Amino acid sequence: MGHGAWRNVVFYAVLVLTFQVLLFTAVEAKVYIDITSPSAKKLPIAIYDLQGAQGKEIADIIRDDLTFTGLFICIDKASYIEPISQKFNQQNWKPLGIEAVVKGTMTAAQGLSVDIAVYDVFEGKEMLSKQYQSSKDLLRQLAHNISNDIYKVFTNQTGMFRTKIAFVAEDDREKGIYVMDWDGQRVRKLGLKGSLVLAPHWSADGTKIVYSSERGRQWGIYLLDFGKMTERRIFASKGTNMAGSFLPTGDAITLSSTKDGTPDIYVLSLKDETMKKLTFTQGIEVSPAVSPDGSQIAFVSDRGGSPQIYMMRADGSDIRRVTFEGSYNTSPAWSPAGDRIVFSCRRGKNQICIVKPDGSALVQLTESGNNEDPSFSPEGRYITFSSDRDGTKGIYIMRANGETQKKVSPPGLRSNAPTWSPN
Amino acid sequence: MKVRSLMVVSAVLFIIAFGLVSCQKKAVIQPDPGQQQQQQKDLTQQKDQEKVTEKQLDGKVDSVNVMDKGAQYAESKESMFSDILFDYDKYDVHEKYKQTLQSVSTWMSKNTAARLSLEGHCDERGTNEYNLALGDRRAKAVKDYLVSLGVASGRIDVISFGEEKPVCREQTEDCWSKNRRAHFTVLVKVGK
Repeated sequence: MGHGAWRNVVFYAVLVLTFQVLLFTAVEAKVYIDITSPSAKKLPIAIYDLQGAQGKEIADIIRDDLTFTGLFICIDKASYIEPISQKFNQQNWKPLGIEAVVKGTMTAAQGLSVDIAVYDVFEGKEMLSKQYQSSKDLLRQLAHNISNDIYKVFTNQTGMFRTKIAFVAEDDREKGIYVMDWDGQRVRKLGLKGSLVLAPHWSADGTKIVYSSERGRQWGIYLLDFGKMTERRIFASKGTNMAGSFLPTGDAITLSSTKDGTPDIYVLSLKDETMKKLTFTQGIEVSPAVSPDGSQIAFVSDRGGSPQIYMMRADGSDIRRVTFEGSYNTSPAWSPAGDRIVFSCRRGKNQICIVKPDGSALVQLTESGNNEDPSFSPEGRYITFSSDRDGTKGIYIMRANGETQKKVSPPGLRSNAPTWSPN
Repeated sequence: MKVRSLMVVSAVLFIIAFGLVSCQKKAVIQPDPGQQQQQQKDLTQQKDQEKVTEKQLDGKVDSVNVMDKGAQYAESKESMFSDILFDYDKYDVHEKYKQTLQSVSTWMSKNTAARLSLEGHCDERGTNEYNLALGDRRAKAVKDYLVSLGVASGRIDVISFGEEKPVCREQTEDCWSKNRRAHFTVLVKVGK
C-alpha cells in the first residue's frame, strides 16, 4: 500500500470518527422532555399496577408523583392491549400514542423487593431495568425512588420525590415543628416543647434546621440536628429574635434581632457565636434570606414607609429596593438557581408573587384566600406555601408558574410556615 | 493496490459503523451515566440494584439546653391597665392614650417593686415574621413613652407575640382593631 492510500484511509477514518462522535453526542443528549420549555408536551406514559400484593399501591404513588410534575400524562390501564406478563412489544403501544411503558413485579417476604422495567415505545427499547429493595415500612420511599429514576430517564434532571417539607402546626393550642413528605404523607411531629414557633430553615445539606421559639417569655433561636436528634439554643436576648436562612457554607445563619433596640439583621457564626450587624435603621428589618451562592441577602424593611423586599450584599453593603408594587411585600425566598425571589404580596389579601432579583418580571401566582410563607423545592420547579383558602390554614404546593395548587397537609391540622428540604 | 486499500477503508468503515450502532444503543438505554452497572447486565444477568433507606426523622428530639431558671416574677392575674390600640400596620402611639400612660407611670412610681412586661400584638392580616417585628415596635413605642415619663427602662420588659395570641378570631375590623395592641402585664416578685 502506498503512502497516498494510507493517507486516504486515515482521512476516511477521521471523517467517520468525527461523524460518529457528533452523532454519539447528539444521541446521548436526547432528552424526552425539555423541562425548560414552558410549552413542553406531556409525555403519555403507561404504568401498570405492579404484579404482587401491594403492586397497585406502589404504582399509584408513581402515577401521582409523575402527574404532579405536569410533564407526564398517565394513560388509563383500561386501554392497555399488552398483558403485563407478556414481553414488551412497541407495536402494542404505538397505535395508542403511548410513548413510554413501565412494568414491574414486587415481592414482600423479609422486606420489599421490586423489579422495574421502563420501555421507550418509539425506540422499542428498554431504558431502565432495576431492582429496589427496602424494609416493609419504606414502601412509599421505595416508590418515590422509582419515580426519581423514571423522571431522570426522561428529563435528565434529578427528581424531588424523596424531599420533605418542614412546617409549624398547632394541636391543642400548642405549636410545634412537623416534618412530612412533600406530598403530605407521613406527617411526623418532632417532640419539641409546646410553645410559639416560627418558620424552620434548612441547612444546605438537609441535616439541620434553625427556627425561633418563644419559651419563658423570651424568643430564642434553636438549632435542631437531625443526625443527633438534639435541639440546642444558639441565641437568645431580651426582645424579639427571629431565625433567617443558613449561609450556604452551613457555618453561620442570618437572623433578625431587637437586641440593640429595633429589629435589625445580623449574621451569627455557629462556630464561635460571633455576630455581625448588617443593617442600622430605626425601623423594621426582618426575614433575611441568603441567595443560593451566598453573595446576596434579600430581606424586608419598612425604611420606605411600608414593608418591601430589599436586597444587599452578604456584607451588608449595596442596599437596593426590589419591590415597588403594592404596600406590603414580605417573606422573601430564593429560587435554587438564584434567578427569582418568591414572596408574599398583599393584593387585598396576601398572595404569592415572584420577581427577578432586579425587580423585573413580577408575576402573581395565587388568587384565593391568604397565601403566605413561600419556599422553593430544591430543583426549583415547585413552591410550597401556606393558605387559608379552605377556612383552615394549611400547607399547599404548586408548580413555580402557579399551576396545580393543592393542599397537602392533613385536613383540620392548623399549619403554616412550610420550607422545602434541600434533598 | 487500489482495491486492497478500498477494502481496508470499507472494513474500517464497517467496524466504525458497527461501533456507532452499539454506542447509540448504549446512549439511549442509559441516559443516566450513574447506571453503568446496567451495561453489564446483558453479560452477567446482574440487574442494577438499589437499597432504599431513610435516615430516621421519627423519635423525640432532646433539648440540650437547660431552660432558664424559673421566672423570678409571676404575672399578676389581671391587667390593671387597658390595652393601647394601634392603627393598621402602624406603631406610633395615639395622643388619646397619653392619659392612660400617665396613670401607668404614676402607678409604677408608687409600686417600686413592680415590673412591667409590655406585650406587642398584631391582627392576623400581616405575615408572621413581619407581624412579630411590628408587635415588638408597638410595645417598644409604649415603653419609650413610659421611659420619657420617668419610668426606669430596666423595669419594663418588651416581648412581641405578633399575631400568635389574638383576643378574638373574627375577620372583622372590630376584632382586628382589638388585636392591634400593646398589652400591660404587671410582674410581681415571687423570689427565687
